[in-house]
Amino acid sequence: MRRSFWLMALPVALLAAAAGLVWGLGDQKAQPITEANALGIGPQRLGPLPPVIAPPGNPPSSAKIRLGKELYFDPRLSADGSVSCATCHNPALGWSDEGPTSKGIHGQFGGRRAPPVSNAAYAPLQFWDGRSPSLEDQAKGPIQNPIEMGNTHEAMIQTVSAIAVYQEEFKAVFGEGPITVDQVADAIAAFERTVVTTDSRFDRYARGDHGALTPLEREGLEIFNGKGHCTGCHWGPYFSDGRFHNLGVPPKDPKNPDLGRYVVTKDPADKGAFKTPTVRDAGRRPPYLHDGSEKTLESLIDFYDRGGGKDPNLDPLMVPLRLTKHEKAALVAFIKSLDSLNPEVADVKPVTPRGLAR
Amino acid sequence: MKKTLIVLFAGATVLLALAQSALAIPAFARKHGFNCNMCHAGFPKLNDWGQRFRDNGYQVPGQQGKEKSVFEAGIPLAIRTTAGYSLYDGGGQTAGGFHLYGLDLLAAGVLHKNISFLFVYTPRIDEPAADYTGPGNGDNPAQLAAIESANIVFSNVVRDKLNLRVGRFEPGFQMMSAKRSYYLLQPFEIYQFAGSRNGFDFSANHIGIEATGRFKPGLKYALGYINGTGANPDNNKWNDVYLALAKTFGPGEGQTAGQRIGLFGYLGWQPTDLIGGVVSPGGDINGFANKTYYRIGGNVSLNLKSFNLNGLAFRAVDDMAFNELDPAVDYKFWGGIVQLDWRGLPNDRLVGSVMYNWVDPPDYDAARQIRAVSGLVRYYLGSWYAVNVALHLEVTHREIGVAPRVKDNLFTILIDFDF
Repeated sequence: MRRSFWLMALPVALLAAAAGLVWGLGDQKAQPITEANALGIGPQRLGPLPPVIAPPGNPPSSAKIRLGKELYFDPRLSADGSVSCATCHNPALGWSDEGPTSKGIHGQFGGRRAPPVSNAAYAPLQFWDGRSPSLEDQAKGPIQNPIEMGNTHEAMIQTVSAIAVYQEEFKAVFGEGPITVDQVADAIAAFERTVVTTDSRFDRYARGDHGALTPLEREGLEIFNGKGHCTGCHWGPYFSDGRFHNLGVPPKDPKNPDLGRYVVTKDPADKGAFKTPTVRDAGRRPPYLHDGSEKTLESLIDFYDRGGGKDPNLDPLMVPLRLTKHEKAALVAFIKSLDSLNPEVADVKPVTPRGLAR
Repeated sequence: MKKTLIVLFAGATVLLALAQSALAIPAFARKHGFNCNMCHAGFPKLNDWGQRFRDNGYQVPGQQGKEKSVFEAGIPLAIRTTAGYSLYDGGGQTAGGFHLYGLDLLAAGVLHKNISFLFVYTPRIDEPAADYTGPGNGDNPAQLAAIESANIVFSNVVRDKLNLRVGRFEPGFQMMSAKRSYYLLQPFEIYQFAGSRNGFDFSANHIGIEATGRFKPGLKYALGYINGTGANPDNNKWNDVYLALAKTFGPGEGQTAGQRIGLFGYLGWQPTDLIGGVVSPGGDINGFANKTYYRIGGNVSLNLKSFNLNGLAFRAVDDMAFNELDPAVDYKFWGGIVQLDWRGLPNDRLVGSVMYNWVDPPDYDAARQIRAVSGLVRYYLGSWYAVNVALHLEVTHREIGVAPRVKDNLFTILIDFDF
């Protein structure tokens, strides 16, 4: 009887002990992912965007925003004076560009599509691979990227410092002292935080105007948050989780694939994963995906409907959707209802910096 | 008179079967701001995304550790209730009326990264006896009070490959989930069938521990060690074991996309003598003369556009000790289910389904043979955040036995409310 008891009890005890041991040594050792907190923890309801919160180190002012706007549209920040921020992040093109990828200095093309600047203030991390933790940090990158603006920070500062009007404006905003690259980045970031789409027909619907969406668009909203599984990643007021997912987008160069987030984290789980872009204003900025490989919203939805592409690291959130034609049309209609109605954002005219001859 | 009693007994059996509970957990939708069809192909059936969510311990697939726990997200409570009208016709006589068919109180959520829980309590529902004159002493609950589920899930013990579920849970050998079936009245007949002295219920939740996991490409397993009786405390120190394997072809989980085949086997022991045994302080009884029974079968789930064809069949053998009719031989039977589901209207607002059940007992027990054809239509009134109402119409024609063959029909229209 005693031996029988132990024969029964031992397997359970061993299994429990092994489970505890393995569990303790397994996934629990994974490093915390800091961006998890940036948009709140976990999926949130869709809704209007909250006010932007500027970081304590870069409080906004009208003068700083004005200066940032001038810098944003100023091609003199590039090595040959041909490329500004707005070249690739064009307000008229949904704060992105025609794509599929962007043309930088000397006609060079990058491997990724220009992410939209509109609402980028809400993104916890910047760039498709999230290598930059803030708009201020991000703004410095393209200036010295050899295929974007092709400049150096030092040469850019020399250029800006030589412009009398800029000297006055930087002095007014940042006080006495030499112009620095941090000041340039702070001013640009301050401007970018004003590029926020707080008003769309969806936002009006979410605020209680039930006539703001057509019946088809309302169906699209239901599918977006249901059978379409879109809110699995595109959740919350920003319509993005700010996280990184491998959608199985076929690499253009299979021998040298873009490894996305993996380049930053070196975590094999991040291979081929790219940041979730916001859906706001998506209707205004085709083509889609990080490499611009889907030309239209319709083809993009077909891509998702297939469950994405094939990739050994495909995100488990990707499953075939089995959408009907009508459901796809409803989704497209709903996504277009997210187009901004903010006139000051949708139609920002370039501000020519004083002293820049055009 | 005899015929009348048979009809009434069958009717009572059907109505008691209404107590079968079903799962859909709006607490998750409430937490995430999703609507029901994020996880369901029309609740309570899971779609592929929802299946992965469940497999991942009620965490968004691949996002474990990046969501609120129950301590941050609010009270994770949900209620599901079904009420309506049913009409039972057996041998030309009818019985029926309005019923509250079921009430589930659910709580579920994430306690900590990769630690989650599910708790389902079904309170006793006492029906007014006006429309019921069946067997018994007037004690006529439409649903018995029970803790249907109470389990903790340890997910990603080994990432994707090993998850552990401990407590009372729906075991993985039920490759067609009775808890998440569209059918609210018609059970999976084969699940509830066994030799006359075998108390094993294939459809029941069980107490024990289960390991599950998945391997690329598309291979899943469930390995369990459970008490098998569903009893608490247990009446048998010999526990049961099972193994289920499923392979999915193509993207998806075989729920609404991808094609899936599965195999499962179950080996159990039940005592045939309880007299004279020791009783533990917890009330467990040391039963004697344990005899074996086993189930072995397969499952196929095929998807084409908005259609899902799902079938399951198994062979069952209960030791001769469970066989009252012919104690000299093992009690052998087999049976299965074939179900064709269709989803229509945007966001799967409309669901239709037909189902065929069959059970073939041994010839000497042909009176228990079952053939049943069922159909249903469910229309979901809305797809709001964390609440849904379905109008449900279900019919079944069933034939029991061979000679005589007793035929009955059940028609039901009800409201399925989940919030």
